[in-house]
Amino acid sequence: MADPTLAATPRLIPLCALGGEIPRQTSFGALTLIERPDVALASLAPRGGMATPAPFGLTLPQPGRCASAGDMTALWSGPGQWMIAADGQADTDFAAAVQAQAPGASVTDQTDGWVWIDIASAARGAPLDRLLEKLVNLPPAALQPGRAARTGLHHLGVFVMRQGADRLAVLGMRSAAGSLWHALTQAAQRLETRP
Amino acid sequence: MTRIPGGLVDRSRTLSFTFDGTRYEGHPGDTLASALMANGVRLVGRSFKYHRPRGIFSAGSEEPNALVTLRSGARAEPNTRATCVELYDGLAATSQNRWPCLDFDALAVNDIASPFLAAGFYYKTFMWPKPFWEKLYEPLIRRAAGLGALGRDPDPDAYDKGFLHCDLLVIGGGAAGLAAALTAGRAGASVILADEDFRLGGRLLMESHLLDDGPAAAWVAAAEADLDTMPNVRILRRTTVFGSYDHGIFGAIERVGDHLPRPETVRQTLWRITARHSILAAGATERHIPFADNDRPGILLGGALRAYVNRWGVTPQARDSDRVAIFTDNDDGHRTAADLVARGVPVLAVIDPRRDARRFGEYQLFSGATVTGSTGRRSLTSIEITRDGRSDVLECAVLGVSGGWNPNVHLASHHRGRPQWSQAHQAFLPPADLPPGMAVAGAAAGHGSPHAALRSGAQTAARLLDCSAALLPHAEDAPLCQLPLWHVPGRGRAWVDFQSDVTVKDIALAHRENMRSVEHLKRWTTLGMATDQGKTANVTALGVMAELTGASVAQTGTTVFRPPYTPVALAALGGGDSGMTFRPTRLTPTHGFAVAHGARLVEAGQWMRAQMFPRAGETHWRDTVDREVMAVRAGVGLCDVTTLGKIDVQGADAGAFLDRIYCNAMASLRVGKVRYGLMLREDGFAYDDGTCARLADTHYVVTTTTANAGLVYSRMEFARQCLWPDLDVQLISTTDAWAQIAVAGPKSRALLERVVDGFDMSNAAVPFMSCAALTVCGGVRARLFRISFSGELAYEIAVPARYGNALMARLADLGQDLGVTPYGTEALSVLRIEKGHAAAAELNGQTTAQMVGMGRMVSTRKDSIGAVMSRRKGLVSDTRRLVGLRAIDPAARIPAGAHLFAQGAARVTATDQGWVTSACWSPHLKTPIALGFLADGAERMGETIVAANPLEGDEVTLTVTSPHFIDPEGDRLRG
Repeated sequence: MADPTLAATPRLIPLCALGGEIPRQTSFGALTLIERPDVALASLAPRGGMATPAPFGLTLPQPGRCASAGDMTALWSGPGQWMIAADGQADTDFAAAVQAQAPGASVTDQTDGWVWIDIASAARGAPLDRLLEKLVNLPPAALQPGRAARTGLHHLGVFVMRQGADRLAVLGMRSAAGSLWHALTQAAQRLETRP
Repeated sequence: MTRIPGGLVDRSRTLSFTFDGTRYEGHPGDTLASALMANGVRLVGRSFKYHRPRGIFSAGSEEPNALVTLRSGARAEPNTRATCVELYDGLAATSQNRWPCLDFDALAVNDIASPFLAAGFYYKTFMWPKPFWEKLYEPLIRRAAGLGALGRDPDPDAYDKGFLHCDLLVIGGGAAGLAAALTAGRAGASVILADEDFRLGGRLLMESHLLDDGPAAAWVAAAEADLDTMPNVRILRRTTVFGSYDHGIFGAIERVGDHLPRPETVRQTLWRITARHSILAAGATERHIPFADNDRPGILLGGALRAYVNRWGVTPQARDSDRVAIFTDNDDGHRTAADLVARGVPVLAVIDPRRDARRFGEYQLFSGATVTGSTGRRSLTSIEITRDGRSDVLECAVLGVSGGWNPNVHLASHHRGRPQWSQAHQAFLPPADLPPGMAVAGAAAGHGSPHAALRSGAQTAARLLDCSAALLPHAEDAPLCQLPLWHVPGRGRAWVDFQSDVTVKDIALAHRENMRSVEHLKRWTTLGMATDQGKTANVTALGVMAELTGASVAQTGTTVFRPPYTPVALAALGGGDSGMTFRPTRLTPTHGFAVAHGARLVEAGQWMRAQMFPRAGETHWRDTVDREVMAVRAGVGLCDVTTLGKIDVQGADAGAFLDRIYCNAMASLRVGKVRYGLMLREDGFAYDDGTCARLADTHYVVTTTTANAGLVYSRMEFARQCLWPDLDVQLISTTDAWAQIAVAGPKSRALLERVVDGFDMSNAAVPFMSCAALTVCGGVRARLFRISFSGELAYEIAVPARYGNALMARLADLGQDLGVTPYGTEALSVLRIEKGHAAAAELNGQTTAQMVGMGRMVSTRKDSIGAVMSRRKGLVSDTRRLVGLRAIDPAARIPAGAHLFAQGAARVTATDQGWVTSACWSPHLKTPIALGFLADGAERMGETIVAANPLEGDEVTLTVTSPHFIDPEGDRLRG
């Protein structure tokens, strides 16, 4: 029942969580914050009696941890639940891809549920440590490389993931992207750590 | 100038500052107090109640007198203790509580009237006539008795917050604190050492003690350098730990930029410190001895006098010729005298009530004597000394008063532990029931000598962390013996609490008026209730009270200690954000569209939603709302409903799980169908409602109200994880993942047909209460739900959130010929009232399924949360039912919240028959309508009743109708 008028209608233009057509990016001293609309996300929860899957060859991490392999990341998000992330795949049906890797598991598309903000340091880990102590109420050990936490930040529920000494990612509710960006950039600006 | 050689100020540099407009000079290392003293300024403030002239009394955060307003304009900070202000170049301070000026204060007349202003005078005097309190008395009292005033402009400075974690928090950087930090730091523990001063060392900086035969300051510098090399030790200078909270959590304020002319980044940081262990090494505060007229400028604590001489190289003399005396009941006052003499400041006399007192140096000793009075209006000129009933007058300008030392037990008592009176120390020591993880060391624990403080700090840290104590310098160990003289008896007024202007007589009066409990004494006299919380007054007052009652100080007990230890700016407690960033806001996916189309936004919890879309020419909000409502009823409207909670429910037992969550059945819902669901609270009342769609055999999507989205999700998680872990079910929120747009109105199908990718939109393919997955606009994944909140033919279409704004714009664009109209929450609300759908005002936590007309939805064939409790007699017997209410007079206004009465009944609680929950003007019916709960409502259709709003004197006559004002049969939404 193809409607000939449809062929003429242009594609819908997607917006980033922060409202722009292109992702937001800014730097303060050694710290650079980048919005990442390209990352696809899906939750994965094995159902009763299932063996723990290993989607895309990822070993699903223990509580409080994350694991990466290539462009893929797995993040513990709750009892029996993980977030699987893939760089550059936001435009694909990533949930379907994860489902194919873990047949019978409960998989839910989460790509547009979150704003993903990468924070990188040009001066190794110290500026990130200083930033984190202004943002989240966690001991430094909980945010060493390879660690991930589901925690509160500026009254928002977030995931904080330390992929490396000099980089981390903060995931917050997409609808609150502006408030999260405000909290992160204000803290980074006040530190003004120079490389 | 009264500078003397020595001290820890940098005399190679000069800082300029002003006090009450007069320019002075000081040096780096000075406090405002020491710099004022160095310039011979002795009168620095006026007292709270009697406007008595006051001078600097202490050298620390306990200061009751020297309160100034720092800075000006929006940065003005009243009630700043001059003794804690680190001098910076350009500092501007002004005195407070005086008019027209500090030297001549008209309100000093209060001092003459003091016999009428005794303890409790508010309560006795301002009783009648009652209305005068708010309008006359209180404003007058507030003007006359007061502290500084806040600026009216918003604070321009930035504040922030942060979180720290450590093995050991050391509170106080004096002898005990440094020894504890060195011990713990060397053992490898993560240590935070916090001190309120800008320089570590505490009392060590203010004494002439030698550590390892060198000046104490040299040892402090070496210890500081040592700590600086330890990556596991963090030193927080200018940081006051102000409160001890549960679970080893402490509140601390770091004054990051207060010592700078303008803060570079933030002015103050509020730290929440979580510590496995803590050591309170907060030192001790010196007691004074009340005697007649003991509040004159020039009279100060003996330990403070010594501190000014030793640390700041300054004396409180206005001129070198001014004479100095000391009044002490213990050896500490003699130590002050000896230090002064050693620094070249002659001491005229030491007055000591102990007959066996001995001299520590070259000065005249009056043993067995007391100070019984003083003269000097704006500054001390003489004291009266009385020995064996004989009095002599001694001319002097400075009097140091030493009444012994009180350990600073405050933070040890923040968990309600009562300090214990130690007979040996003649002081209160920390309670036995300390906050968990806390130990107390140094003078705060009664170990006041340098040797004892150092050893106690090191050993306490070693014990807590199970490590060896740091090597310590050799230090003096002369334990202090104190036998307190709580006050000198006499006829004049002897101040106990300087800041609150409470005298020994006030305490006696309170006692005569039967204020026997120490808590009553405090409130009747306001003792200890000023901004200094009575740091220099409380224990002395207890001693005076004990004398009056004949009880011991231990029996008298203390009042409760509460945070903060010293005042904390509200801006800092606020965490640094204000205005629109004070708390997070959530934006809908179509926010950009709404703003571009001139939407007026409204806060709905954290969400900013489009309330309405005013157009040019609409002069009243009702013009807009009426237009939007009629457009939906006549054509098609668009509304962003993303804010409704969406919870993805999957798993083999998803249906069984939802059967227990909802009071009605969900397991029986067929795939591709949607059902309205109602959740009950455990107590049987209605809780939340929404639709539940079954996308696949083991996959449902639950929608919740906007307000309860988070709550329902967390309670479902609780049920899944804790109540029924045996069920195979997985949950995750997808509220933000999908942009959901309501497309409502008779032309909604026609509009949607223009965006779906060849999807059959016919009534047979997509009947009412069905759902489907599809694509729109050339391949964008979407979900379609045929549900209606308005009562019209309606759908909700969901796309990944990133496409929400574009889809909204596309629908608005493609539907122009259909009269498509974006509508906001106001129109949404009018539409649902016209249809008789319950919302938050009807499901307010006090109503039941039966009341909203859904009693039969509570399934008896299965159990669910709240089902059993919903059948209890008290709920079942409630006859109030949801009804429609229609104003008889179309010009009337129905106030929501008005109470319902039978015609002619008295407007009293006994005859109250219910209330109006929601009300609006119905543009469809051209009359005001409302929903409400009415007793026996189901049987009263057509009856005329009254809605009364006695608060505003409103009353309106209503006809009881069905709550479904439009299309009660539901033909429209099924069409």
